Amino acid sequence: MNENSSGLAILGHKDYRSEYKPVWCAGCGDFGVLNALAKALAALEIPPHEAAIIAGIGCSSRIPAYTSAYGFHGVHGRALPVATGLALSRPDLTVIATGGDGDGFSIGGNHFMHACRRNVDLTYLVMDNAVYGMTKGQASPTTETDWTASKLSPQGTHQMPLHPLEIALATGAPFIARAFSNSPNELARMIAEAIEFPGFAFLQVLSPCITYRPEQLGYKKRVHAGFEPTADRTEAFAALAADDGFSTGILYRAPRPCFAPDHSGARTLEAIAADFEVVP
Amino acid sequence: MKPGEDLACFLAHAVVLEDEAASRYDELADAMSVHRNREVEVLFRQMAGYSRMHRDEAIERARAHAGGLPKLKPWEFSWPASESPESGEMSRAHYLMTTRHALELALAAELGALAFYQHIADHGADRIIRALAAEFSAEEAEHAEAIRRWLATTPELPEGWDQDLDPPVEIE
Repeated sequence: MNENSSGLAILGHKDYRSEYKPVWCAGCGDFGVLNALAKALAALEIPPHEAAIIAGIGCSSRIPAYTSAYGFHGVHGRALPVATGLALSRPDLTVIATGGDGDGFSIGGNHFMHACRRNVDLTYLVMDNAVYGMTKGQASPTTETDWTASKLSPQGTHQMPLHPLEIALATGAPFIARAFSNSPNELARMIAEAIEFPGFAFLQVLSPCITYRPEQLGYKKRVHAGFEPTADRTEAFAALAADDGFSTGILYRAPRPCFAPDHSGARTLEAIAADFEVVP
Repeated sequence: MKPGEDLACFLAHAVVLEDEAASRYDELADAMSVHRNREVEVLFRQMAGYSRMHRDEAIERARAHAGGLPKLKPWEFSWPASESPESGEMSRAHYLMTTRHALELALAAELGALAFYQHIADHGADRIIRALAAEFSAEEAEHAEAIRRWLATTPELPEGWDQDLDPPVEIE
């Protein structure tokens, strides 16, 4: 470990990893996300004790355990409410909510929309593999209509896949981006930008599930740089209309005031108690 | 700044190339450990050890040639592809992979590093960078040759190597 000019320890990305070994399938895209997250925190020199990683349930939601930052592996679909509460009560922390597409867009879908419009200063990383992997391969909200590999949907899902970036843009998220887990250095850059963004930053990470969606190994050939950052919603919607689902980059970046209640006038417990008459 | 244009930048690339290779081998070994694939885990640990040894050698050379290294962010490195070229490709890993698969993955990683150094040896901006790159390239060629020899003594894949009586890929 080195020191910077102020005498503080300079941490490498390995300092952000815990002693626990990931139990993900060998070859899982989530390894790349873990790697990139550690690199981003190291590059920004955010000490582990000043960061908190909050997750729901699912394969990717195990990520807090594999880092040395504070972590909370909570309730299915509820990463964002927990992260919101933490970010509001501890604005000194760097708060990063993480999870998968099932956790974030199905059971947590409602929270996602409101987090976008509320704009609390936190980062939300969704590792999207378009499948429920932990429960052995069912269709998720982002699964393609014609995916027939699951016994639960042998004739396809009969439902349109949800487009997370479109929802994020429509509901007011001020920072919206997409990245690919197989490019951990580029992903680290985008995570760092998301963390530094003052407000709710949503990053969809295409993260192949090699076990239940082995065809996603072909993402390498399909992913391409495509988005140019804009602060114009009309331009961003136009970019999404032309998107093939594999464009990467920052789609939209338009800072606006964060939701941050002013607690300066908060009353003490004693003052509140004085308003009440205690009747014996 | 590109590694072929600046000596300190080149040496920073050389150190990180080996460091990231070691990290990836550690990750692969951990993944094999989780899946109780002990034989391949041991091989990846061995590879990680070699990479760390080479990283330490690169650090020594960096001290001798450049005095210090620039502090670059991960995305400021200039690699031919999305990762440093000696990082074994994670998506090639499989819980049932054999020693042969692991060696093939390692060989691809060594050849990636060799191509990286050879390109700089051929096109580097100054004589010292070209000479160092040629030296590193020759070392990577030796590593690749060692793995090829190892592969030559490794049994071919047995029939049914990928059979699992309790497969996780039974989609429900």
